[in-house]
Amino acid sequence: MSLHSNWNIREAHESDLPELLKLEHECFGSDSWSEDNLRSELVEHHTYYLAVEIDGRLVGYAGLSKLPANSQSDIQTIAVAPMARGIGLGHEVMNRLIRRAVELGATEVFLEVRADNPIAQKLYRKLGFEQISVRKNYYRPDGVDAIVMRLVPDERSVQQRPQPIVLGIESSCDETGIGIVRGNTLLANVISSSMDEHARFGGVVPEIAARAHLEALQPTLRKALAEANLELNQIDAIAVTNGPGLGGALMVGVGAAKALAVATGKPLYAVNHLVGHVGVDVLERGVLETPTIALLVSGGHTSLLLVNDLLDDVQLLGETIDDAAGEAFDKVARVLGLKYPGGPEIDRAAEGGDPKAIRFPRGLSLPKDMEKHRYDFSFSGLKTAVARHVELAESRGEAYNKADVAASFREAVADVLVTKAVNACINHGVPRLLLGGGVVANRRLRELAQEQCDKHGIELRIPAFSLCTDNGAMIAALGAQLIIAGREPSGLGFSAESTLPVTTIQSR
Amino acid sequence: MRRVLAIDTSAGTSVAVVELGAAIGARPQCVGSWHSDNPMKHAENIGVAIAAALQQAGLTASKLDAVVVGRGPGPFTGLRVGIAAAVMFAEGARLPLYGVVSLDAIALAEREAGLTLEPVARLLVATDARRKEVYWATYSGIGLERGEGPGVQKFEVLLGELEPAGPLVAATQGVHAENIGRLFFEQHLAGVASLDISALYLREPDAVPTPAKKVSG
Repeated sequence: MSLHSNWNIREAHESDLPELLKLEHECFGSDSWSEDNLRSELVEHHTYYLAVEIDGRLVGYAGLSKLPANSQSDIQTIAVAPMARGIGLGHEVMNRLIRRAVELGATEVFLEVRADNPIAQKLYRKLGFEQISVRKNYYRPDGVDAIVMRLVPDERSVQQRPQPIVLGIESSCDETGIGIVRGNTLLANVISSSMDEHARFGGVVPEIAARAHLEALQPTLRKALAEANLELNQIDAIAVTNGPGLGGALMVGVGAAKALAVATGKPLYAVNHLVGHVGVDVLERGVLETPTIALLVSGGHTSLLLVNDLLDDVQLLGETIDDAAGEAFDKVARVLGLKYPGGPEIDRAAEGGDPKAIRFPRGLSLPKDMEKHRYDFSFSGLKTAVARHVELAESRGEAYNKADVAASFREAVADVLVTKAVNACINHGVPRLLLGGGVVANRRLRELAQEQCDKHGIELRIPAFSLCTDNGAMIAALGAQLIIAGREPSGLGFSAESTLPVTTIQSR
Repeated sequence: MRRVLAIDTSAGTSVAVVELGAAIGARPQCVGSWHSDNPMKHAENIGVAIAAALQQAGLTASKLDAVVVGRGPGPFTGLRVGIAAAVMFAEGARLPLYGVVSLDAIALAEREAGLTLEPVARLLVATDARRKEVYWATYSGIGLERGEGPGVQKFEVLLGELEPAGPLVAATQGVHAENIGRLFFEQHLAGVASLDISALYLREPDAVPTPAKKVSG
């Protein structure tokens, strides 16, 4: 379990009881509540309990009590599984509880904490709690003191940080994605892919992708709402990808989003697909640390970005001048007689192969390329080189070593991607690199990026794969950031733009 | 079922709010509409079109009873925008969603414009399918019922096939969403309204699987 996982915070139900009990024992041992005690906490009318899941597993919970006639609220408990600690979960859950307490009319929030738990005390102080008294020998049987802390929530500060619920629609390529976030918290991320329908063509067929989007819209929307346990009328705003991507595919999402916005009366934000891949990091880290270099690699894009500010300053340093990296994997997979999509197939074929067996070319990496194409990529020459290698062997009636070819090809792609990205970090003095796009699933690319980043003191961020591949959550997340920053909605007149520049973060 | 939002993007972008009158048998009235004949820019126009039609009608989505959409046939890229919009509008407003054949709305427009056919004649509705082809259907009888089609064909080839069977009258009207709405009410009152909203593509995607090309000569 790591930083790279998504967490999902939702209200706890009585049906969570068995898992909550397990967690209770894991966290509190002899101090644990009984089953009856915990059940009544969950079902009482004056309590509010949150459950935290990572990858569908319950890893934390917390709750408060607030009697209607009382302006005081008590934090009843907070538990985070040991393996999910240190990633800011406790802070986020506490923040939610405090906000809820304020919504319920509390003007003071109280809690007790063990005197021998300095980490928890530090968290509470950070949230604004202050010690008001000590209860001697409160925790039995150990006889540990309880420190009583109090927070007087600043109502304005709670309200000034709105956490808009945003529904994001993504349809720029072969994935129909609908995601829902609350501020920077992921609530749902549902993806319907038409990948299988493209398989026999060896690449994405735009018309097939667009047809699939139309069919997938309604079921994907319903699934996302169910996953978030929300009704459409609880959504605050809608965000949609309006480019870059396949024109016909984009238009399905744009038309859908506009109609949904008019039907529900919700504001609509048109956002940039590539910037969405960058903004998705807020769902895992709460903020996007800038400046950062972003390397986005998929079947449709190979782009290197300099992000000084997620909402205001994104620059394109370079991109592919021919095939996208993912396309190169697909094409080489065909040359090697492998299936589509090529990435995982080549990963498998490369198992045990020697990445240094054949020195395939690294596109646009010669000194003469540095002036015009320092951060651009080219993969068509590489693909041709692999094809030649294979054809030459076949024309001689020789067998070629497929594992070596696959490993050497993959090495060439990963090498040129990582080298240029790391160089961009070094040359721009940016100590961070963020990866995004479906090709991030490639193990060798991740390994090499980690290796090179470690070597150069660069912090590497790789979001969970479900957030790296095209998805609606990243679009929702970017929309939420725009709303939090007070940006106006996009209106209804914007267009779907297949070549939308990365500098246009929001369209109007 | 009194008031519907009708959407069609099989040719231009057309949206209308159509309602049944109080009098039985009265022609359903268009109380708000937005229409553009531009065969492009569907994605740009659709949101403005829906909002404008509702605004002109002085209504919000909650005052509607259903959404009805033209299923084409029509050029795919634009056609899909209207269907996608109809699907999501119906979801967003929690309304039932119905589909009609867009070409049928042209026949209805001809009927309303007073077209009467000789008993043996047929109305030929043909719209631009690009690539030198037309989307087409034929209609006959007093009610201008659809006989053949919808299909897609080169116009000359189509005429060669249809003409021997009797005289043809070419339709001159275009697709307007208000007629999509009226058509729906006719079908609804006759108990034959259709929930099928699938796009009438009539053509397979162009892609053909190809073997990998050789690079060395």
